[in-house]
Amino acid sequence: MREMTLSELSRLDSAASEADEAFQMDEDAFRLFYERTARPVWAYLARMTGDPRQADDLLQEAYYRLLRAKTAHETEAHRRNYLFRIATNLVHDLRRRPRVDAVQMSEQQEHADPRQADAAGRLARRVDLSRAMALLKPRERELLWLAYAQGSSHQEIAETLRLKTSSIKALLFRARQRLATVLRERES
Amino acid sequence: MNGHTIGQSVCPREQEIVDLVVSGRWRDDGDDGLGPHAAQCDACAETLELARLLQDERKALCEEAPVPSAGAVWWRATIRARAEAARTAGQPITLLQGIAAATALGLFAGLAGAVWRSVAAGGAWFDRFDDLVLRSAAAPTTLILPLLLALAACLSVAPLAVYLATADEP
Repeated sequence: MREMTLSELSRLDSAASEADEAFQMDEDAFRLFYERTARPVWAYLARMTGDPRQADDLLQEAYYRLLRAKTAHETEAHRRNYLFRIATNLVHDLRRRPRVDAVQMSEQQEHADPRQADAAGRLARRVDLSRAMALLKPRERELLWLAYAQGSSHQEIAETLRLKTSSIKALLFRARQRLATVLRERES
Repeated sequence: MNGHTIGQSVCPREQEIVDLVVSGRWRDDGDDGLGPHAAQCDACAETLELARLLQDERKALCEEAPVPSAGAVWWRATIRARAEAARTAGQPITLLQGIAAATALGLFAGLAGAVWRSVAAGGAWFDRFDDLVLRSAAAPTTLILPLLLALAACLSVAPLAVYLATADEP
């Protein structure tokens, strides 16, 4: 690889300053938005991938894509929905690639040391939920998480998952039934 | 799950229950009457249980989420954006160098071909040169001067262009 000339470097330097300007928000606004959304987004990614390490990587990628996106957001809710949409797309992309030495969340949780009976019960419920969620279709997992964990409205879910708002109710109903069935089967 | 049968229909109050659970305001004995309703309605009971389960899971995951600091994420994004900008800025330079190299190669090949034909023709080269000089002399002077200027410009500008495109600056 050849070395760069000074003129090239100066051009690259100006390109670098343009890179900062290419972000759709400044650093302070980003910090505020990140503090409010990073943990829920990580939780979503972790539950959708079933692998916390993948969630770590995808979190960084999701925020990078958000910063570089040219889309204008009227409200923070819009921006948050857009972030979840990016996260969903990243999970879909990940599914298309072969998985290598993924650390499954359910296994991680199973090996944790429950110190109290209450904690053990909570842990058992989480493992059950984790395994039940893993048996659902990706779309069902996304719907249930966005609706019941994230508390998104049907319209927000439709925007995030690129579905028709009118179809969310039926899809969510079927997903809920599937999860309830799987959980019951695991209990019995 | 608490043993309710699986709901076969959608209850219009489901969303109210979800909203209360998500906002952390759900109470089994709340004034809104949703607690007793959920105890009677299979669909709402199922919704309530799953919403609670998923809410607990979300809270637990959010607590244990090993998210990097906002500053670190911003810094990495900046570095990456700069690297991408540098790659993008580098592309036209490479293209220009490629064009310059191809032009120089073509010019060299053309000259080499012309010289080779002249050498292959042997002594005829000198005859042709004499003929060219005679013809040039016969041509109108108004054409000769621009031709000479254009030739001189090409000869001086072409190497300069190649140099500017390829050479390192001092």
